[in-house]
Amino acid sequence: MISKRKIVLISILILSIVGIIGSPILSGFLGSPMAHISIPAEPLLKHSLFGIWNLTNSILVTWIVIIMLTIVSVYGTRNLKETPGRFQCLLESIIEYFVALAEDIGGKNGRKFLPLILTIFIFIVASNWIGILPGFGTIGIFEPAKDYIHHKEEIAEKAQEKLDLKSVKLHIYEGNGFLAILPLGSVNNEIDAHTYEHHGVPKNKRAGVLIPLLRSANTDINTTLAIAIVAMIMIHWWGLRQLGARKHLSKFFTFKGGIVGFFVGLIEAISEIARVISFTFRLFGNIFAGEVLLMTMAFLIPLVGIIPFLGLELFVGLIQAFIFAILTLVFASTATSDEH
Amino acid sequence: MESLSGDIKTIGAGIAMGLGALGPALGIGILAAKAMESIGRNPEAAGAIRQNMILAIAFAEAVAIYALVVAFLIIFVA
Repeated sequence: MISKRKIVLISILILSIVGIIGSPILSGFLGSPMAHISIPAEPLLKHSLFGIWNLTNSILVTWIVIIMLTIVSVYGTRNLKETPGRFQCLLESIIEYFVALAEDIGGKNGRKFLPLILTIFIFIVASNWIGILPGFGTIGIFEPAKDYIHHKEEIAEKAQEKLDLKSVKLHIYEGNGFLAILPLGSVNNEIDAHTYEHHGVPKNKRAGVLIPLLRSANTDINTTLAIAIVAMIMIHWWGLRQLGARKHLSKFFTFKGGIVGFFVGLIEAISEIARVISFTFRLFGNIFAGEVLLMTMAFLIPLVGIIPFLGLELFVGLIQAFIFAILTLVFASTATSDEH
Repeated sequence: MESLSGDIKTIGAGIAMGLGALGPALGIGILAAKAMESIGRNPEAAGAIRQNMILAIAFAEAVAIYALVVAFLIIFVA
């Protein structure tokens, strides 16, 4: 009689052996290709909407998250009961935790800050967790090699350089249609544009690049910057409302303490701007680095290498959302108190 | 703007990440050591100490993440 525990252990062992043998370092029959890393989010449509606005893959995911959260909140609050069910209990426990936290840190003003910090927390944690689902980064729109090379040449022309065709990397995909997927064991499918133009690709195959259809919202620096700016504007709005314009602004521009006081105020003002930058890069860096870490691990040890890091990413996603919310709360409560 | 060649970029990214991780590593070590010490002294407060420790570690870790972002920028953008 084999216990359940043993079955699990043995299957993990078998999977790791298969994964290590199939890794690109040894034989490479399972190796997933190292996915393309791009810091800006990729536009999905060829032309920008209304001439100014690109629909990028991270915006698409932001919309999906917003729609999901709307559905959850509408469904969750539709028939509230005195003795809550499971789902209502879950939602209530999240809200109660933050109510206690806001009143603990913010004092009598705490409840006022609650809507913003709770929204920030729930949005960030939902978009972080949705970003580690399978399909993010691996399913995408197929861009044919010709278009891609042409695009690269245009960029090189603008920078007044000559494009080195050997440095342009392409992948070989099967099938046709406008969608493509990164297949398992396709680590040797990479060719450069130089080889492509001279030798072509095998029959029934096509060369090109993949533009991921979905990309975690916080791996786009615009998303995190937007949240940070909204948070900082609201913090100062609360400060102005609570203390009045003169008192609030005198924290930053003051002649009371002579020349030293003026510079102290100036440093205070600069640190407010630095807070926006630090908010932005903390969240962006953590989530983006997590994506790259997962990609690298999936590349090095297929099947099993990624499993512990998925747990780590769940944890990091939660902690970063929590930190963003807590810091907003702390800054807001210092902005509304007049200690200076 | 003249772009850097591949070798220099790789060295630069390595140095940025290596030196940038030094400070946060020390900071996280000190934080964890102090937290363990205080849990040992006052085991009833373990929950609260752990929560605050994780929060503070995330702050220290963010500095390493800045270095990582710089390293990425050097490799992919510069």
